[in-house]
Amino acid sequence: MSAAAADAATPALLSVEAVSAGYGGATVIDGVSLAISQGEILTVLGKNGMGKTTLMKTIMGFVKAQAGRITLAGEEVTRRPPHAMARAGVAYAPQEFTIFQDLTVEENLRVGVPDDRTFAERVDSLADVFPRMLERLKQRAGTLSGGEQKMLIMSRAVLAQPRLMLIDEISEGLQPTMIDRMAEVLRATRERNGTAVLLVEQHLSFALSVADRFAVLKLGQIVEQGPAGDPGAASVLVHHLKV
Amino acid sequence: MANLALDMITTSAILFVVASGLMIILGVMKLINFAHGAFLTLGGYAAYLTTEAGLSPWLAPLLAGAVGFGVGIVVERVIVRPLYHRPLDAILATWGLGIIIGQLITIGFGREVQFAASPMTGTLDLGGIEYSAYRLTLTAVALAIGGALTALLYLTRFGLNARAVIMNETLARGLGIDSARVRLLTFGLGAGLACGAGALITPLLSVDPNMGLPWLVNSFMLVLVSGVSIPSLALASLILGSAQVAVSSYISPIIGGLTIVVLAAVLLRLYPKGLGRGT
Repeated sequence: MSAAAADAATPALLSVEAVSAGYGGATVIDGVSLAISQGEILTVLGKNGMGKTTLMKTIMGFVKAQAGRITLAGEEVTRRPPHAMARAGVAYAPQEFTIFQDLTVEENLRVGVPDDRTFAERVDSLADVFPRMLERLKQRAGTLSGGEQKMLIMSRAVLAQPRLMLIDEISEGLQPTMIDRMAEVLRATRERNGTAVLLVEQHLSFALSVADRFAVLKLGQIVEQGPAGDPGAASVLVHHLKV
Repeated sequence: MANLALDMITTSAILFVVASGLMIILGVMKLINFAHGAFLTLGGYAAYLTTEAGLSPWLAPLLAGAVGFGVGIVVERVIVRPLYHRPLDAILATWGLGIIIGQLITIGFGREVQFAASPMTGTLDLGGIEYSAYRLTLTAVALAIGGALTALLYLTRFGLNARAVIMNETLARGLGIDSARVRLLTFGLGAGLACGAGALITPLLSVDPNMGLPWLVNSFMLVLVSGVSIPSLALASLILGSAQVAVSSYISPIIGGLTIVVLAAVLLRLYPKGLGRGT
C-alpha cells in the first residue's frame, strides 16, 4: 500500500488520540496522536529518551495511559492488558528481553502462535522468510547469535499473522545485509497479510526504505510527520535527529 | 541393608510428593507458599473424613487433591493476587493463612490425634525381602506424579505457557499469555498437590492440626536445594531423604529429624543457586 492509499479516507486500524503516559509521576509521552491504516507502515523516529519505547508499551498495555484514547479497528483498547492486545492481533517485538533464552527456537515460536493446530503449517512458511530458523528449531534460543536472535523475534511476530506489528529498533546491532533482509520481510508480511506496522527506529535509511509515513517524537511529543517517500524527508529527519 | 536402602528410596519418594506442590508454586509465581503445611494438614483431614464416611481410602488422595485445588483457586484469587506486586506481603499472607487454617481445623476437630484408614496393609515380597506394600505404592505414586508434572510442563500448551511465565513474564504477556490465569491454575495445582500429599502420607502418620509443620520445613529446604526443576527436586529428595534415614538408623532419630535442615544448609553453601542451576 502506498502512502497515498493511507489517507484520511481509510479507516484507521490503530488510532492513538492525545495519549499521555509515563512512570510514577513523570510524563514521558505527552498528548501523542497518530493513526495507522491496514497495511500501512509508519515509522516513529527520535533520539534516545524521547519516548518511543514508552509509546509502544502504552499501546501494548504495559504502561497505563494517563490521558487520551487508543482504538484498534474502532474498538477502544486503552485499558486492555498486554495479553488481550496480543490476542486481538497485535504482535510486539520489544527491544530488550526479547526471547526466552532457555526455551528452544521452536518453543519460542510456538508461544507466539495462538493456535497449536496451525503451528506446523505456519512454521513451514519460514522457509521463504528465514530458512535458517528451520535448521535451528531444536536449538536453545539463548545459544543463537545476535543476528539469529533478531531473526527469531521477527519470525515469531510474522508467524502470529497479526493485524498490527509493533517493532522496536529491530535493526540495532545488525549488519547491513541483515537489515535489508528485515526490510524485505516487513514488506512481504504487509503484502501477504495486510499487516500494519508501527516501526520505532533510529536507523534512518532502513526506516525510510520500508515506511509509508514517518513521525518524529521529541521530548514525548510528535513534532513532525510526513510521507516517507518525500524527497526532503531525509534532510528533515536528519535535522531532528541531530538537534 | 536392603531394608535400609528401601527406606531411603521410599522416604525420598514421600519427600518428593510432599515438596512438589511447593516447588511448582515457587517456580511460576516466585512465591514461597507458607500455607503449604496447612494445605497438607487439610489433605490429612480430608483423608480422615473420607474414611470416616465409609468411602474407599483409595479415594482420599483424589478427593483431597480436588479440595486442595478448589481452596487454592479461592486463596489465589482472594488473598494472593492482590499482593502480586508486594511479594514479601504475599509470603506473609500465606503464613497467616496457614495459621488460620490450623486454627479452623482445631475448632472443628479439636487438638486430639485422629487416624485415617490405610488403603492397603501388609508387605510385598521383593526377592526374599518383605517390605511395606503401602510405602512401595507411594514410591510408584511419586514416580507417576513426577512423570505427570514433567508431561504437563513439557508436552502441553499450559506447560509451555507456564515455563514462558517462569522465564520472562513480561514477554509472555506481550505474546498473548494470560499470566494471571497461569498463576491461578498453578496455585490451584500446587495446593491440590499439597492436599493430595497430605492424604497420601496420612496412613503412615496420625492426623493432627499441626501435622503439616515439619513437612513444610522439610519441603522448604528441599526446594531451596533443588531449585525449580523436577529432576533436581527428585535428586534433592534422594540425597536429603537418604541422609535422614541413615542418620536416624545409625545415630539417633532425633538428630535424623534435623538432618535435612543441616544438610540443606551445607548444600546451599556449595550450590548457592540450587542443584538445578549448579554453582
